[in-house]
Amino acid sequence: MKKTKVLMLGWEFPPIINGGLGVACLGLSKALSKQVELTLILPKSDPSIALNLVDIIGLNQQERIRIREDFQTNFYEELENVYTLPTTIAPYQTITETQVKTKQVKKSKKQKIVRSEFYKPFELENLYGNDTIQKVIEYATVSADLCMEWDFDVIHCHDWMTMLAGVEIKQRTGKPLVLHVHSLEYDRNQGNTDSWVYQVEKHAMEQADAILPVSNYTGNIAVAHYGINPRKIHSVHNGVEKVIPYKVDKPFPEKIVLFIGRVTHQKGPEYFVEVASKVLQEYPLARFVVAGTGDKLKELIETGAHKHLGLNIHFTGFLSKEKIHDLLAMADVYCMPSVSEPFGLSALEAAQFGVPCVVSKQSGVSEVLMGALKVDFWDVDKMAHYILMLLKDPTFAKTISENAQFDLEYCTWENAAIEIQEVYKKLLA
Amino acid sequence: MRSVTLCFQVHQPFRIKPYTFFDIGKQHSYEDEGHNKLVINRVSDLCYLPTNKILLQLIKKYKGQFRVAFSISGTTIEQFKLYRPDVIDSFIALAKTDCVEFLAETYYHSLSSIFSANTFIEQIEAHRKLIRSTFDYQTEVFRNTELIHNNAIAETIKGLGLKGMITEGIPSLLESQSTNNLFSPAQTSFPIILRNCILSDDIAFRFSDKNWKGYPLTVEKYSSWIDKSLKKNENATIYVDYETFGEHQKKNSGIFTFLRKLPGMLIDTYGIEFMNPSEVIDYHEIHSVYDAHETISWADVEKNLSAWHLNSMQKEAIEKIYSLEPLIRKMQIRKHTEKWNKLQTSDHFYYMSTKGMSDGEVHQYFSPFASPHDAYLHYMNVVADFELEVRKKKLFS
Repeated sequence: MKKTKVLMLGWEFPPIINGGLGVACLGLSKALSKQVELTLILPKSDPSIALNLVDIIGLNQQERIRIREDFQTNFYEELENVYTLPTTIAPYQTITETQVKTKQVKKSKKQKIVRSEFYKPFELENLYGNDTIQKVIEYATVSADLCMEWDFDVIHCHDWMTMLAGVEIKQRTGKPLVLHVHSLEYDRNQGNTDSWVYQVEKHAMEQADAILPVSNYTGNIAVAHYGINPRKIHSVHNGVEKVIPYKVDKPFPEKIVLFIGRVTHQKGPEYFVEVASKVLQEYPLARFVVAGTGDKLKELIETGAHKHLGLNIHFTGFLSKEKIHDLLAMADVYCMPSVSEPFGLSALEAAQFGVPCVVSKQSGVSEVLMGALKVDFWDVDKMAHYILMLLKDPTFAKTISENAQFDLEYCTWENAAIEIQEVYKKLLA
Repeated sequence: MRSVTLCFQVHQPFRIKPYTFFDIGKQHSYEDEGHNKLVINRVSDLCYLPTNKILLQLIKKYKGQFRVAFSISGTTIEQFKLYRPDVIDSFIALAKTDCVEFLAETYYHSLSSIFSANTFIEQIEAHRKLIRSTFDYQTEVFRNTELIHNNAIAETIKGLGLKGMITEGIPSLLESQSTNNLFSPAQTSFPIILRNCILSDDIAFRFSDKNWKGYPLTVEKYSSWIDKSLKKNENATIYVDYETFGEHQKKNSGIFTFLRKLPGMLIDTYGIEFMNPSEVIDYHEIHSVYDAHETISWADVEKNLSAWHLNSMQKEAIEKIYSLEPLIRKMQIRKHTEKWNKLQTSDHFYYMSTKGMSDGEVHQYFSPFASPHDAYLHYMNVVADFELEVRKKKLFS
């Protein structure tokens, strides 16, 4: 049988990553490439990363790129003349960024995107920043022109940064468009549907032939808050790269309850601090560790101080993967109180280390990690109760952690790749 | 007779190092030795040695007429002994002139006057002992950390047999009275010298400020202001960070020339004498009551405890370190007591201040940490480790 030829459009990719997106993109590419012919276009690729079976095209690595066709998507003109444009967009913020300011931008009809016959090599320092939108538009125009004479059967995009490109390529070639949704603006922006990014996502999902959210939870958001036809949606849960778990002896007697993630509203860190306060009243021999940074960090540190938890709640700031593993190797409980979590890969990582997990019901990972304790993110009493049970009862903790091991067997990128291929098949049939 | 008292605060804390969660339980030394040594070396070369040299020359030149007082914290003297014994020698040389007074304070430049009465007294005694052994000098006059003061503190100091103390002259407490007099607290009779904050800050903060209407501050101008400020039988106390000379106000600002010329101008032109604090107390009568029913200090615009004890992080840090007191006293382990004392140094809490405006800038200028939150996190990690160390026996038994 002839292999399906997939044109994949990615944004983050190791080692240039900001969050879970790049990790997922790598895991999927690796697994898919065993079954399909895969060409992956990235805004920026590091020469050090090369995959056996994947043709990686980093736009930054290209010599001059010839522009042959006109940009066909008339999507920009459909937008209103005046719209709200964030001056800084960091969809997967890891930096302690001040709040995203918005300003009104007057979109002049006369001002068209400057086009010359030749583009310079695609240059960019960071994947995000003040001009993320400009980068996204350039990525769309350049990659659309680049792939015109290539032979492929299906277009596969990852998140809004590459969706414009996907829509454009579909319009030019008529090939089916698959959108892989790792995260939606509705979630990131606390339910705000007023932004340009939301509009891009909505438009692209409407144009797409298939949408692959990383969980039913995210798929439901696409239906409920973007009005997308549920028949186009096929959720594909993330896998997790196998690690060899190890244990580290703690240099102190207290048990560790761990939070890993960006310290932003979406991840619910303030619920973690509230839970810490409740747990410590009953079980003082515990340390609550917040690993990560974000716009809520300072506020959270002050809340911890205000609640007199200074000696039992610790903030590590951003940590390397190795340090995260060291923490997991010491931890007794992993807690993920996310307000809204498309997936939540870190819970799977914790489970790999045998750490029992308490995860929010408002997460994708709760759909696959059956052997985790689940609780609504706002139900801090129940969350505290579960954590106390895990801290006080080692047998119970062991059972929870062992249950999760069964789930992990199914959480592989290979399984995700199989599901994706089925979607391709349907589209190409 | 009209006089001027010159007092210099010499203080360097044992700053703690960036101390992460991963250090807790493993790393039991908390000080950033490299950074502390660097600061001591820099300030010694820019300020302490050259200024001591100038003062010694002036004392010799004016044959007893020029006099100065120092408050040197215990943590500073310890660091001189560790890193710069030559600075100790230069202070000893000054002490031998009999024109230099050393003031008593808390050894660790702490806030113990507010948060632990017993520790307060112990730290004062430790400091007096240190000054005696280092400079062969018996202290008589007290000044609290950053001039923190209230009526109760004055009572405690009186009880220790000291003969007087120095604190900040706050206009609202003085009402219309001149700061250049000797005062007493409300309930008891005890001599209190007040710092003349205007004349002091003219040098300490405004000397190099080009936007200040007094700029440039010449010796002639400044001496005439002192002259104007002093009525008959009054004494103006000018009390500044010693680091003003060469460190805060750089050499090229002309601060050293200013210092060299000041005594001559005051003595010869205006007939103003120099008097040390203990002499002021001997010579002057108590003029009136200075009723500090609430705690004051010389720090920040508010001149109260808000530089160290305002936001939730500062309050939590202070609460946690002093909560260890019963345990420390019970254990009586010298190593632990010393670490505990060092963690009380007020600077740790000063770095955690989140004040904005010009006060915030001053806090940040002194801080070795990138932000108040960083200062707090590292400090609390240190205290977490220290608490483990202290409790160890109990926990693992």
